[in-house]
Amino acid sequence: MNKRTIYTCIILILLLFAVILVSLSVGSSGISFWEALKVIFGGAGDNTAMIIKQIRLPRIIMAVIAGAALAASGCVFQGVLKNPLADPFTLGISGGAAFGATAAFTLGFAALGSFFVPLFAFLGALISVFIVYVLSSRKRFGGDSMILSGVIISYIFSSAVMLLYAFFYSNHIQAAFMWLMGNLSVFDEQLLIYVCITVILGVAALCLSGNIINMLSLGGDKSKTLGINTEKITKIIFLTASLITASVVSLCGVIGFVGLMVPHIMRRINGADNSSLIPVSALAGAVFLPLCDTLGRMLFSPVSIPVGVITNIAGGLFFIFLLMNSKER
Amino acid sequence: MEREDKKIIEIGNISAGYRRIEILKNIGLGISRGSFAGIIGRNGAGKSTLLKVICGLLKPFSGNVVLNGKDISAHSKKDLSLEIAFMPQNIDTSMPFGVEDFIMFGRYPHMNAFKIPSKKDYEAVEEVMETAGIKDLRKRNVCELSGGEKQRVLIAQTIAQGTEILVFDEPSSHLDIGSQSDILRLLKLLNEKHNKTIIVTLHDLNAAGEFCDTLFLMDKGKIKNTGSPQEVLNYKDIEEVYKTTVIVKNNPMSGKPYVIPVTAKS
Repeated sequence: MNKRTIYTCIILILLLFAVILVSLSVGSSGISFWEALKVIFGGAGDNTAMIIKQIRLPRIIMAVIAGAALAASGCVFQGVLKNPLADPFTLGISGGAAFGATAAFTLGFAALGSFFVPLFAFLGALISVFIVYVLSSRKRFGGDSMILSGVIISYIFSSAVMLLYAFFYSNHIQAAFMWLMGNLSVFDEQLLIYVCITVILGVAALCLSGNIINMLSLGGDKSKTLGINTEKITKIIFLTASLITASVVSLCGVIGFVGLMVPHIMRRINGADNSSLIPVSALAGAVFLPLCDTLGRMLFSPVSIPVGVITNIAGGLFFIFLLMNSKER
Repeated sequence: MEREDKKIIEIGNISAGYRRIEILKNIGLGISRGSFAGIIGRNGAGKSTLLKVICGLLKPFSGNVVLNGKDISAHSKKDLSLEIAFMPQNIDTSMPFGVEDFIMFGRYPHMNAFKIPSKKDYEAVEEVMETAGIKDLRKRNVCELSGGEKQRVLIAQTIAQGTEILVFDEPSSHLDIGSQSDILRLLKLLNEKHNKTIIVTLHDLNAAGEFCDTLFLMDKGKIKNTGSPQEVLNYKDIEEVYKTTVIVKNNPMSGKPYVIPVTAKS
């Protein structure tokens, strides 16, 4: 770990606390920043504590966990596949989840129980991961063939989503559409704990595999002569990253940009060494997503904008800014 | 050294290729411990394929490769990575890794389960940077180096692996003559001062004649000729393999053969 990484981590951790506190105190019930701080350290009125603990805290935890999972898995996909365009979107995971969730809404399963949407979304994501996996295993898990199969699967699934809309023109579509935009305002809180555990274990495993991903990024022949079973390791890492993405996406919908751009931005700041880049990206994602969600709640209050819309706009603009200012342009 | 005459690598009747296309056709050759072996031949003659077979990256259809008296398929991947280091042509340098970190990747086979570098690994990287003369590149990113600098860093990464056998696939292609000699002199230094066995594919016949002590001339998946540069670089074989007219002279400084392509008179 070099100094730059350590400073970046410290700054990101401070930002994370700041964002959490601000996010806790923003809302319609007028809870001040200091009251929010008091609740965290135990010691505020019952009413305030209840609003914060039961309404706002789960949403923030979801945002932090989802941001970390998406950024870490995006970073890993880019490193393993040696392609800066790799992310949960281009690998078809989000597309599969979107199809599953849309099916749950339009076919009426969502009305039967709230856990059907995440269940269907998760299954959809797994199906698409499975297809990409089978397609690219014939090509020995080369980066390009994997992304190509992912993009193709995404296209097929997004057409399937449109097909479902066309067939089942109903009031379910509004709900399905909100889900597709990536939404943190409604999700099944009972599932939150499981997603948390999955993501924390998954991200920890990915962080530890940073040095191995470095070797993989040298390219097949070189990493093989360093004594690495490249295919097996690519498989394990791909499946781990897919699992955490699928579990997050199935709960809070398709949230774009985070998996693609956060690792890019952090690579510029931190350098490409995956052993430090993966944890730094995860932290940055954990800061970025609750920040976007808070903005979404504040900007046009009382109307709350889906976080997916904010991440795309804010992230896209920031990335254009970075490109304009980069030296090598 | 009593094992001086013993071959470090022995290849017997190898046929190899990709899918069903046979590229190497019944090749047999031996490489002596401590030699500087050059493999020359036209594009598509099978030079890179031969290197892949030697490094255990490609399983031959038939025949065997014996490394240090033991069949290569009997070595585990890890064992092999401690015996042979390979520098392919296509190492990805598009990610902005720091030069020092990048060279450290070569230490991978020596690291523990979590692949965290030890003090010994840092010392090895330091030593390798000294040998390759790239200490001044320490703080740079690999993606912004010049062609010659990049090759030096890649070679340093390969040496860092600490193996006795070093295999390079066209380490000096696309370089100017100054950088090319720099690279080959570095390989010569490794061969002479560090007792490494070097196996290298080269396109420049004159550089091959100047630096290598053994040459293997390949043609259409077979070994056309083997021996010292004086033996292999004769105009007859070269003209037959390269399908162009050449004159072979002696380099006035080293006395080694020098191949000059000429326009054939009709």
